[in-house]
Amino acid sequence: MIESLKCNRFDMEIIELSWFQLAIGFLSLLIPGAILWWYKTGLNRKMVIATIRMTLQLLFVGYYLEYIFEYDNPWLNLAWILIMVVVADFATIDRSDLRQKVSLIFPIFGATFLGIVMIDFFFLEVVIQLRTILEAQYAIPITGMVLGNCLRSNVIGINDFYYNLKENQERYQFYLASGATRSEALYPFFQRALQKSANPTLASMATIGLVSLPGMMTGQILSGSSPMTAIQYQIMIMLAIFTGTILSVFLAIIFSNRFVFFENDMPDPSIYKR
Amino acid sequence: MLLEGKNIDFKYGNEIIFKDFSFELNEGEKLVLKGESGSGKSTLFRLILGFELPDNGEFLYNGSILKNDNLKSFRKETAWLPQDLNIGNGSVKEVIEYPFQFKSSSVEKPAPNTIKNLLNDMRLESSILEKSFSDLSTGQRQRIGILTCILMNKSLMLLDEPTSALDRESKVKLADLLLNSERTILSTSHDPFWVERCDRIIEMQQI
Repeated sequence: MIESLKCNRFDMEIIELSWFQLAIGFLSLLIPGAILWWYKTGLNRKMVIATIRMTLQLLFVGYYLEYIFEYDNPWLNLAWILIMVVVADFATIDRSDLRQKVSLIFPIFGATFLGIVMIDFFFLEVVIQLRTILEAQYAIPITGMVLGNCLRSNVIGINDFYYNLKENQERYQFYLASGATRSEALYPFFQRALQKSANPTLASMATIGLVSLPGMMTGQILSGSSPMTAIQYQIMIMLAIFTGTILSVFLAIIFSNRFVFFENDMPDPSIYKR
Repeated sequence: MLLEGKNIDFKYGNEIIFKDFSFELNEGEKLVLKGESGSGKSTLFRLILGFELPDNGEFLYNGSILKNDNLKSFRKETAWLPQDLNIGNGSVKEVIEYPFQFKSSSVEKPAPNTIKNLLNDMRLESSILEKSFSDLSTGQRQRIGILTCILMNKSLMLLDEPTSALDRESKVKLADLLLNSERTILSTSHDPFWVERCDRIIEMQQI
């Protein structure tokens, strides 16, 4: 009796949203629009463009994912993951203050891809134990969430590493002049970049559930999962995100170091925008 | 001859810093490059250490031309005091001890007593070790920088304006510690106190 009640309680069908209902949702933008306009922030145009972009991008992804979910072919899923990694690679350099140089594009791509492959293999195949390899229902959203966070951490980590090095170039050179190898002289810069990129994820891990309900968990609860299942997945995704972000920042710095530095251990100055 | 610069040409953009500049430094010698700021004194250290590459000319260490393949072993023989004194992060103790963690370090991490004695020679209290390096005055940082270079015990010291932020008493102590030793020292300075006490002077002209 209790079991069936439990099932009934969480086996509810999600309320389907009509396009009209979604359109009503857009009316909420009148409030921020009015506030931003009243204080002459100059952000109204940006808000409209961002809203249109968000809507079109998500609709496009939605249609594409419906297709991917329907076919659920591992090769197709892998291709989609590769596309996401390439976009994240260019977005990382674009959002940082570094130039789109081959010496950065390829190492960051390699680092992000390798990081994602390791995370996906461990969490999808070892922890969740998918029924088929790269099953779209799990592989696509989990990879997407980890990748989104890797992107943010890579931007912080790579930017901090190379700009801290530029601003404290004499300290780096002092270490080299004292006989340090390149990796020994770069150690303190590496240390700070890792601290800076790990902090946002650590802060959100420390407050999750108390301050906010994360998106993935909210989505699962809305679509009818029990809160405990949603929480189990959320804990797993937080572990995947944290491991993935540290791994990709670590690999991105290690890989890019191989291409950015000249033989005399000086970094290529043309990578800097400012 | 320990170090030699031969016919060095170097320019930043269109600005000529060195044109056909040469020098020789013998083992144990204290050579000072004297000149006003902008005459390229600090750049010479960056060129010697391979952080910048000359447009023409070469540097020789113990008779061998310094190139990328032997630059790393050359740097193991040097201790450099840069002019801006940005030589570390954290506490003064951490800054002093950091270079001794390098695999190449030929000397052990200095014993607390060795550091204390040198601090005393430099007219600094032992309590400075616990302070943050970034909170020190320029003069204090300069003395900590020199102390670190001395502790590294390298065969060649490259000192950029070593007395620029020191008072008279500290300069006397420093000159006694370094210029009366058997070390080989290449320095830059426009401080008459230091310049007069070195073995040889090269006047640098702004080109």
